[in-house]
Formats: sequence, structure tokens, C-alpha cells
Amino acid sequence: MLLVHPVRDLVRFLPALVGILVFGQSSDGGGRWLLLGVGVPVVLGLARYLTTSYRITTGRVEVRQGLLNKRVLSAPLDRVRTVDLTASPIHRVLGLVTLRIGTGQSSGNGEERLALDGLTATAASGLRERLLHGHVSQLTNRDVAATAAAGHVVLTLDLRWVRFAPFTSSGVAIAGAALGVVAQSAHTLEILPSVDLDSAARLGAVALVVLGLLGVLLTICVLAVVGYLLTNFDFQLLRTGTEWHVRRGLFTTRETTLDQARVSGVSIGEPWGLRFAGGARLSAIVTGLDRRQRGSSVLVPPAPRAEVERVSAEVLGSAAPVTSRLVGHGPRAHRRRWTRAMVPAGGVALGALVAGYAVSWWFLPLAAAALALGAVLAHDRWRALGHALVDGHLVARSGSLDRRREALHTASVIGWNLRATWFQRRVGLTHLVATTAGGRQQVRVLDLDEAAATDLAASATPRLLEEFLTRPPGRPLR
Amino acid sequence: MSQPVRLRPPLERVASRARWMWMCTDLLRWVPVTAVVLLGNGPWGWFDLPTWALAAYAVVLLAYVVLVPQWRYVVHRWEMTESAVYTQAGWWARERRIAPMSRVQTVDHREGVIARLFGLATVRITTASSAGALTIEGLDRERALALVDDLTRIADSVPGDAT
Repeated sequence: MLLVHPVRDLVRFLPALVGILVFGQSSDGGGRWLLLGVGVPVVLGLARYLTTSYRITTGRVEVRQGLLNKRVLSAPLDRVRTVDLTASPIHRVLGLVTLRIGTGQSSGNGEERLALDGLTATAASGLRERLLHGHVSQLTNRDVAATAAAGHVVLTLDLRWVRFAPFTSSGVAIAGAALGVVAQSAHTLEILPSVDLDSAARLGAVALVVLGLLGVLLTICVLAVVGYLLTNFDFQLLRTGTEWHVRRGLFTTRETTLDQARVSGVSIGEPWGLRFAGGARLSAIVTGLDRRQRGSSVLVPPAPRAEVERVSAEVLGSAAPVTSRLVGHGPRAHRRRWTRAMVPAGGVALGALVAGYAVSWWFLPLAAAALALGAVLAHDRWRALGHALVDGHLVARSGSLDRRREALHTASVIGWNLRATWFQRRVGLTHLVATTAGGRQQVRVLDLDEAAATDLAASATPRLLEEFLTRPPGRPLR
Repeated sequence: MSQPVRLRPPLERVASRARWMWMCTDLLRWVPVTAVVLLGNGPWGWFDLPTWALAAYAVVLLAYVVLVPQWRYVVHRWEMTESAVYTQAGWWARERRIAPMSRVQTVDHREGVIARLFGLATVRITTASSAGALTIEGLDRERALALVDDLTRIADSVPGDAT
């Protein structure tokens, strides 16, 4: 386990080392430079390893590190929400893992998260047990494997689900990043794409554009599939007693353990592409984990909708919050969806009409396209709207391009926000937001009738609103 | 048909001096734009605005600075009970927030420069959700300090880790 830092630092210093090698060979005394180049990272890595230590004292976990800049990070054990075991390829060769502790400090940034790098796999799983259960467990590696086997496998990745990858936005994101890197290195290395204008002219401009678009599309699809496989290969969701274990990754493997008591709900993501392909994804709303740590809360990667529904029913202990019909929001909410989509679309269309009149008739189709897009969005956003209160869960759905259905246990609602603009108040609508300490920190029910909003909030958390309600005499509070 | 159950507004208003504070902050917010309009039109000669445009700008600014604070004063309200805090704020968009005492994590007392000119303070109550902080602007300073004391006392007496 001594090796991991030096090896990783060597990799990080590789460009510098190459430079030193080149430089060293052109002058005398190259050996000394090389020694320095290899030695410094190794010494730094050793120093980091030797100065990092951790301990679990009465109810707290502490990590101390640093030779010159010392720092101590500590957290109470009962604030430990998740434990992540990550192993990069180097770690895996050496049989090591990095253990990360999610403590749910909303203010803490990634830098300050408790992390222990270079633990052996056995030590890490033992430590995980202690962190999550607060007791010293005498489990050996074999016992851990046995417990895992005794657990109930809820979901394993089916390689056919890769077909959903091109329908997620991750492909576009990876392609964008890759394009940036390629453009950057092409620029620094002064490789400029040479375009043979003659052959381009022979092909024709239209064919060239079509070919280019197809090429881009294909690249995005391939990158999306590769990205999907890299993160989700060998995905397994396992339930042991009161815990959920997620394992995934092709080269870098990642194991996350969530405490069932901290899972306050689920969020089903159905962005338009996935919805079109009949898929969805599922993540847990974990008390104390916000969306910056959302990698820790994935329960189902993009997969068929039926799988997502099955797993969420198992996580919530009831299928109703996910499958039951939602209460719609009425004609006023319908009208509001339409005005909100059509006013901007109408503005664009008007601009396009003016441009069509003044500049070129080529702008005219743009006007029609803007109106059509607005109408499609309005209709889809309207169809998404819905809420319900079933089996102790507040369920809300909204959105079109990024549609989400969220089910939050009412015991995890830690407050209500009711927001209404003057337009909304005029027609008696309001947004109802249930705030919570996990996931996106809120579950939003959009454009609800004011009375229905009060009713929903009062039914979800009966004692909280009671004092602030106006009640006509004689009518009992439900 | 019987009237449905509704959420009533919170009972207590903020200090009436808060209107003057909001007027000052709103005025200050418009200073950069106004400076650019006046200087650009006059000494710097960037553009040449017709008199009616300047007049319209003045009218809009005046209306904003005079009316919006009044509107805010009508909307801004708060209430604290043994079990919950309830606030209402905003003007165009009205936001009502309710948090139970058992979920209160921190209680802040702040006095900005302009608020201090008027002897006012802001009380901010945070919960474990970053979307759920309650803010009461424009409270009388003494009232705010008393409120902070009460809030801390009640929130401390409720067990649990507030998540």
C-alpha cells in the first residue's frame, strides 16, 4: 500500500519526466536529473503516506494528514451518511482502495471530504462496517464476501441497456469535453486540419454538411456508449439488511453503501431522450447528501422504465408512489403552461417575421418552427404536471426536457415554501415546495390551486400548518 | 359551498421604518444605471437621449423607488409559535415559508450598513435544507435580538439532529 502515492505521482509527473529525459540527454549529467525526476515524486508520495493517519475515537472519526501543512478533519460517527470505496486501475493492480466518507455537511466542499487513500481492500471494508455501525467488526475478507452473497441482489446491469446511452445528454457532454481537448492539443501542436477545397467542391456543400452532421452524431453516440460502460459496467445493486450497496465501474470501480434509514425518497429522471427510448434513471434522495455528491446516490443507471419502477418500489417499500396516477393541476395550470411557453416562442416568431420581411424570406420557416416548438413544449410540460400523497410519500412530477418524478417520505419534509407571482395569485395558483435535507434539497409541485396546495401540505405534515390555517367555523381539520 | 381551508398570512408586520430602508437600498441599486444614463447623455456624449426618454426613465425610477417599498411593507410579515416559524416576503412574487422549530439549525442576526442607519436588523433562520432558509428583513433591532433569543431557546429545547 506504500506504492499507490508514488506510482500515482509518477504518472502525474510523467510529462515533466519526459521533458527531463529529453533535456537530460542533450546535456551532461542526465542521470542526476533523472534521479531527481523519479526521486522527488517518490519521496513526496512516501511523505504523504507516512503522515496520513486515521482513528475512530468515541463517536468520532478523525483523519490527520500533512507534513508541513497539517490538518485534521473530523466528523461525528452518527453523521456518516454514505461510505464510498473507489479503486482506480492503479489501486486495483495493488489491491488498494480509496475510502470516502459522506457526512452531509452541506457547506463542506469536495476538498474537505473525509478521504483515506491507499487502504487495503480488507481494511477498507472493515472500516466501512465500523463507520456505518459504530462497532468493531471482526469480519475477515471472506466474511464480507459471505455477507455480500447473503444479501439480496436487486439489480444487475444488462448489457443491452447500453442502447439507452445515446439518449442521455452525457454523450454530448463527453463529446464536448473531448472536442475541447482535441482542439487545444491541435492548436498547441500546430496541427491544423487541411481542407482539400477541390474535393469538397466535387462533393457538394449539402452532402458535406449532411456527412459532417452524421459524423458528429455517430461520434456522440459512440462516446456516450463508452462513457456508459466506463461508469456502469458490472453495475450491481445489493441489499443487505438495512443497507444498500451499489458497485459499478469498468476500470475505476466504485462501491457505495447507503444506510436505508437515510434514504428519504427517490427521484426518477426521465429526460426527453430517455423517455422517447422508453427508459429512465433512478437516484436516491439521501438525507444529508446534496446534489454535488449525486454520484453516491445512483440506484439505477439509464435502464428500461420497468426496471426503474421495480427497484423504486423495493427501495420505498411500496409501488404506489411510483406507479399510481397523479392528480392533475386543472385548466388554470394548463393555461399558464401555454402562456409561459408561447409568449417567448411568439416573441421569437415575431422577430423572425420582421426579419423575413426586411432581410430574407429564409427567416420565415424559423417563425413556424418557434411556434411549433413552443406548442410541443407547452403540451408536454402540461402533461407532466401532477402530484399525489400516497403511502406516506409526497409525489410530484414536472418538466419536459428534464422531466422528474420525485417521491419524498413526508417525515423528511423539513419545511414548506409557497411561492406565487402576481400573475399566479390573480388566478389562484401557487408553487408548493417541500424542502428536504437531501438530493436537490426540494421537491417542487408547480402551479397548484391555492386551496389544493394548503390541503396537500396540511395532509403531509398535519401538525405543522394547523396554527396558520383559516378555518370556517364548524369544519373539522382533516 | 363552504370556504376551503386556506393558509392565512403571518400575524406580525416588520418595522414601518423598513419602508425607508428599502427605499434607500432600491435607490442605491439604481445609482450605477442612472449615472451612466446621465453622464453618457451629458458630459461624455455617448448617446443623445430625447427629453421624453429621460422623463420616462425618471418616472419609472421614481415609481419603483416609491411604490415597491410600500408594496413590500404590505407583504412582508412573520410569525413565530412554540412549534414553527412562518414568514412571508416579496412583492411581485410572494413567498411564504414555514419551518418547524424541530428543524431549525442556525439563527443569524445581521445588520447591514443601511439597516443600521434606521436601527433595523435581519434575522435569518436556516434549516438542514439549503432551499429552506427563512429571512425576516427590516425588524426593529431590539425586537430582532429578542426574537433570536426566543428562537434559539425554543429550537434548543427540541431534541433531534434537525434532519
